[in-house]
Amino acid sequence: MLSSTLILGLVLGGSYALVAVGMTLQYGIARIMNLAYGEFIILAAFATYLLFGSLGISPIVALLIIPVIAFGLGVALFQVMMRPLVTRAGGSGRLEVDSILATFGLLFVLQGVMLLAFGGNYTSYGFLDQGVNVLGTTLAANRLLAFALSIGLAGGLFALLQFSRWGLALRAVALAPGSAALVGLNMRRIAALGFGLGTALAAAGGVTVSMFQTFSAHDGVLFTMKALVIVIMGGVGNVLGALVSGLLLGLMETAVARWVDPGLTLAATYILFLAVLLWRPEGLFGKAAGR
Amino acid sequence: MLEIQNLTIRYGRHLAVDNVSMHVAKGETVALLGANGAGKSSVLNAIGGRVRPASGLISLDGRDLAALPDHRIVEEGVALVPEGRGVFGPLSVEENLRLGAMPRRARTGAAEAMDEIYALFPRLAERRRQAVRTMSGGEQQMVAIGRALMSRPDYLLLDEPSLGLAPIVTEELFAALHRIRSRGLAILLIEQNVRLGLGMAERAYLMTSGRITGEDSSARIATDPRLAETFLGRTGTA
Repeated sequence: MLSSTLILGLVLGGSYALVAVGMTLQYGIARIMNLAYGEFIILAAFATYLLFGSLGISPIVALLIIPVIAFGLGVALFQVMMRPLVTRAGGSGRLEVDSILATFGLLFVLQGVMLLAFGGNYTSYGFLDQGVNVLGTTLAANRLLAFALSIGLAGGLFALLQFSRWGLALRAVALAPGSAALVGLNMRRIAALGFGLGTALAAAGGVTVSMFQTFSAHDGVLFTMKALVIVIMGGVGNVLGALVSGLLLGLMETAVARWVDPGLTLAATYILFLAVLLWRPEGLFGKAAGR
Repeated sequence: MLEIQNLTIRYGRHLAVDNVSMHVAKGETVALLGANGAGKSSVLNAIGGRVRPASGLISLDGRDLAALPDHRIVEEGVALVPEGRGVFGPLSVEENLRLGAMPRRARTGAAEAMDEIYALFPRLAERRRQAVRTMSGGEQQMVAIGRALMSRPDYLLLDEPSLGLAPIVTEELFAALHRIRSRGLAILLIEQNVRLGLGMAERAYLMTSGRITGEDSSARIATDPRLAETFLGRTGTA
């Protein structure tokens, strides 16, 4: 019972972590709090559904295609929609407010397009749904695969940020944007790349989540809210924090659903959120005056 | 040659730099002296692309630096160590130095450059993995200078490297700067400690309220009592 809750919780948390890492990157590097983030997750889920359903392309292959397209889409979106805001803000905190308003609008545009294209009903597809035994717990194979992919991707991203030259540049911009130009880093180019990378991660999250969960055109907001909670809990802009908080939230929700009441998972999410914020307002891994 | 002609900088209605002209030749060390608020940092920040001049020319061997975006300046061979250092505090010494080698001009030979910097500042070699923000002010200044050197600059701009440092640390830092100078790169140095500044520089400019009010060789300033009065007297902390 305990081990099954643990395993199911980690599996759910893996997807949360992957999704939240992308959002925290967008904020940390591009300074854009993207409220339309969840829409990209759902968009990717529908894309996977289409590729699998009508073209017979496996979701695993889709995981290689869709995030790449999403990266391009994210960069383009940044150049067209965010760049004027960045220019107007001129490095001030105004960008945060402006970007929240702009992406809030984008949320409804994307949601409207998806409602038109796919309707408002729940969608799912059958992929690897036979059971697999993991330490005495029976788990759908698609969930297990989604977990492995999520952890692999999030871990890979963390390694990329920590050990590559490119990752070092991204972290430097996130930590001290004012010093980036001193070492020849082009802030705007890196912000666009960071935003694209975040969009690619949202898409990767959408592909993996669609493997085991039903979704509808309305669901983007739910993902955005959860990702926000995880990002803030982990310390805004902190990749490791988002990873750990994502796993923690998955465990929490599964435990509450199992032992308390499935209807209280959302309430539990916010109780955990509040508790963390009361205890450490800067987030679990946040630095009080880091910037 | 790094050349500034009729540079004027305004912050809103405040005139910070008023029609300043100066130059630094290749391999030359020049000190920019003057009281707080005289506009010295504004001149350096304008060269480094951090401040947009209202008018005037900044050129390097005839190329217009003021027309370039800020991140391109270091690519041209001009590295700025700004006031407050601008280090990446949460990152380690080594990561800060690696970032210094980001410009295209510095990518080959970055490993050798890093060894040279560790030889120049042995304290940094002992603290490669330490987060820079946990280090002393002097050590952070060494990181900032080391990072600037990683870009293999022809011109190094230093904004008050001794600010807030203990005398013994300042001495160590300037010993290293003397060694850096002997490698042949040009240095433009703002220094509130006039004796230290003149000890380093071949030539010095004096700035008062946004204008250049004096210019002479360090040797002449040191020996001519009237010049000494002008340069040392007005700047105070000698």
